[in-house]
Amino acid sequence: MSAKSTDKGTNYETVRIMGSLDRSIEEADRLLAADKTDVLLDFSACTFITVDGLEWLEELLLRAESKKHSVIFESIPPTVYKVFKVSHIAPILRACGGPTLPNGPVC
Amino acid sequence: MSSTVKDKDTALDERVEHLVRQARLAAAVFTQYSQKQVDAIVKAMTIAAIENAAVLAQAAHLETRMGCTEDKILKNYVASEFLYAQIKDKKTVGVIREFPEDNMVEISEPMGVILALAPVTNPTSTVIFKSIACAKTRNCAIFSPHLMAANASNQTAKILYDAALAAGAPKGFLGWTEKSPRLRKETERMMVHPEVDLIWATGGTNMVRAAYSSGKPALGVGSGNTPVYVHKSANISSATIDIIISKTFDNGTECPSEQTLVIDREIAQPMLAEFKRLGCHVCTTEETAKIADAVIDPKTGGMNYKMVGQPANFIAEQAGVQVAPRTKMILCQLEGDLRTHKLAVEKLMPVLGFVIVDSVQAGLNRALDINYAGGTGHTAGIFSQDEDVIEQFSLAINAGRVIVNCPTSIGGLGGVYNNLTTTLSFGCGTGGGNITSDNVSIKNLMNYKRVPRRKNQTMTFQTTKNIYINPGSIDHLRDLETRNAIIITSRSAARRGHLAMVMERMPADCRVDVFSDIGVEPDFQEVQKAAAAMRASQPDTIVALGGGSVLDAAKAIRLFYDYPELNQKDLAVNFLDFRHRIFEFPKTQKTQLVCIPTTSGTGSEVTPFAVVTDSEKNRKVSLVDEVLLPNVAIIDANLTRSLPAEITRDTAFDALTHALEALVSTYSSDYTDGLALEAMRLIFEALPEVLKKPNEVVWRHKLHNAACLAGMAIGNASVGLNHAMAHSIGAYFDIPHGRANSALLLTTVDYNSRVPNKFISVANYPIWIADKKYARAARFLGLVDKNAGPEGSPEEVEAAVAALKKAILELGLSTGQPLSIAELGVPLDKFQEAIPTLAVMSFEDMALKTNPCYPPGEDIVNLLISSYPPRVPVAQ
Repeated sequence: MSAKSTDKGTNYETVRIMGSLDRSIEEADRLLAADKTDVLLDFSACTFITVDGLEWLEELLLRAESKKHSVIFESIPPTVYKVFKVSHIAPILRACGGPTLPNGPVC
Repeated sequence: MSSTVKDKDTALDERVEHLVRQARLAAAVFTQYSQKQVDAIVKAMTIAAIENAAVLAQAAHLETRMGCTEDKILKNYVASEFLYAQIKDKKTVGVIREFPEDNMVEISEPMGVILALAPVTNPTSTVIFKSIACAKTRNCAIFSPHLMAANASNQTAKILYDAALAAGAPKGFLGWTEKSPRLRKETERMMVHPEVDLIWATGGTNMVRAAYSSGKPALGVGSGNTPVYVHKSANISSATIDIIISKTFDNGTECPSEQTLVIDREIAQPMLAEFKRLGCHVCTTEETAKIADAVIDPKTGGMNYKMVGQPANFIAEQAGVQVAPRTKMILCQLEGDLRTHKLAVEKLMPVLGFVIVDSVQAGLNRALDINYAGGTGHTAGIFSQDEDVIEQFSLAINAGRVIVNCPTSIGGLGGVYNNLTTTLSFGCGTGGGNITSDNVSIKNLMNYKRVPRRKNQTMTFQTTKNIYINPGSIDHLRDLETRNAIIITSRSAARRGHLAMVMERMPADCRVDVFSDIGVEPDFQEVQKAAAAMRASQPDTIVALGGGSVLDAAKAIRLFYDYPELNQKDLAVNFLDFRHRIFEFPKTQKTQLVCIPTTSGTGSEVTPFAVVTDSEKNRKVSLVDEVLLPNVAIIDANLTRSLPAEITRDTAFDALTHALEALVSTYSSDYTDGLALEAMRLIFEALPEVLKKPNEVVWRHKLHNAACLAGMAIGNASVGLNHAMAHSIGAYFDIPHGRANSALLLTTVDYNSRVPNKFISVANYPIWIADKKYARAARFLGLVDKNAGPEGSPEEVEAAVAALKKAILELGLSTGQPLSIAELGVPLDKFQEAIPTLAVMSFEDMALKTNPCYPPGEDIVNLLISSYPPRVPVAQ
């Protein structure tokens, strides 16, 4: 499901992630492949994320970066946000609007 | 084409990165799993382990050539079935424990990515155990197997991983390093990899040391050297079989297995005979030397690894010792000094040392010799029917597990012979250079989030049980139940006629003694002197007659009279919260205490406090405990009629300070607030009248009541900053207590009514409301202008506090009471010189602990300085 959004002064096409994110979301891939718009992933209805889901997100973000497009994450439930935090994947943390590197001490 | 070292390193780094990344992603995803999902995964893994127990045991034996397949099967069952039985119902997700009495819960947090090392001696059972334990705790494991057992370990990991994945585990939650010559290097890289959260090392000393040296959190468990004491009370037959079972289990590869027996002489020969009968070989001295040469590596002094896990016949053959076919175990007597004997070390093979001793003391000492020869913190065993000996042994030995009347190897695993936590990972505590002495299991694989709720502190209200009021109430003395009383008083009581008034009213059949040597500021010596005097007459009642000092002294005298063994130094130990203080007062008093105040100030007749001077340290000591509360208080204003105006003022301002400080105290309550407010009202109303008409007992009565009410308030809410500073100024410049209080009152009310520089950390004082409580007092006293604003609004509160300060100022001015330090007659230069000392004394004063804010030292200095200038123009 996608919709136009003008959040943050940019034209974003919103893709809503429903339920478990356990594989690629074709709509997001298609939008990015079309090379016309930035993508906003709305996680408000995301209930679970798998390793495959994480890997797809990272790969999507790398593709977006190579095309000079932006992908941002919004409305992330805390359980999913914690998965992002624990994963330590820099592009994902950037897409959440946070710093790339953790602030605290790292072993 | 050959690859370079650099190529190999790059490939190794890539393998490490891949393994760690897979585990990291899986750890992230695992955080979402519910207990139900986790338990389903654990169950599937356990079933897979059980179904493959034999296959994996065979694989381990084939690859390592250590131990025996049958026992390895049993170990695989222990690591799966027995572990499962112990953990299946354990909570490891979300709230795992509740502590209702502490209002606290414990929530688990996974540790993350665990680098799990597996030893050559237990290559499959350790992997089974660690995999299941990690799954139960939502951790991800990367296995680093021993090079000599890597195929068996990795086969195990793969079987369990596939089962877990099928049951819904996150992809990559188990990983393993493949068998290769660079396996060790790969492990070292992972030990310092930033994405590895914990190293769980089970294995040889070097590997465990490397884990602890990596800078990572580590659960490292290492080698042992198990002494087993066989006491003469032991059942020889069953002990012998247990030891054989244990030491031959997997050909002795279990690190908790018996290494040296310490046998009481009384049973040594029958036991050795039993060993022989059951198929063991007991060596001669010459044979022992040969065995030692074969099983001990002369370079290291440790065991020869070629003999680890080998059958007894093979070892005997290698040593050149003739033994019977199918010999189960070889026993060697360790003669000479045990501490230097070659065989007094860990021997993971069916070779068992033994020594014979002549007493329990010698038995324990020889066991300690073995224990401290590389076995501290690990395992020890005892066979005995004597509970005392078992206790002595357990107290002496340094071991994480002391196995009683069981095989130490299988007993140490837990779950088979006893209820120890099932493990393949034996924590040895600091004795073994480990972080834990537990049988390491799921408990050690979780971070614990404690979620304590704020304490709802129980408040109490206590005061003197029987209070007789109104002028003439001293007549109650006639009804006192006493046959032998002592009147504790000061010399002035006789002069003012109070002593006679009391003596006349004591019951006719009562013997009455008098102790009238209480000075102005009684010290412990006076208190002890009075208590000693009482011991001669053995009174059942003390009648304390006088001002606050006399009443306080009487409380202390009663305490030392009833409990002569008490140490005044113990009583005087300072405390932050009286419920946690170190010294415990007696729960009850034996002697009745009747308090008759002759001033209207301290309220000591209804408080649980007694201030006594410690002359040795030149300080005042506050004794605080409900046991100090008098039994009876008689509030008879007739006894205050002759009180001079100056003392009347000083003591009334003391009572006013009590009321004001109790009102804003962090321990104030609805119960004390009412008393404080009414005390203030009575003082503002009665003091000017008393000073105008000193002989009118009605106003004296009101003032007397006010002091008693304020006493009840501070008796439960305590005082604050004003008293802390007044104590120091009073002691330093020898100023009467009430006067010192009044000189500071305007400064402290002003300070406490302002938003604090530092809030005080007291659980029962959740919001700072001192300003609002002062405003409430102003309203109660009818001081607030109705145009000041809506009640409770910031402007109204400010106006009300200002009105209260103005009323205090006016009361002081109208009654001639000093309201500044200068007005006390303290010279400026002396005062300035004293400020640092006064600040320290004030800061250390107990009274400060219930003030509504926490004044830093700098604030106290400023408060002292601002309390100095006179409130009234000094005459030119």
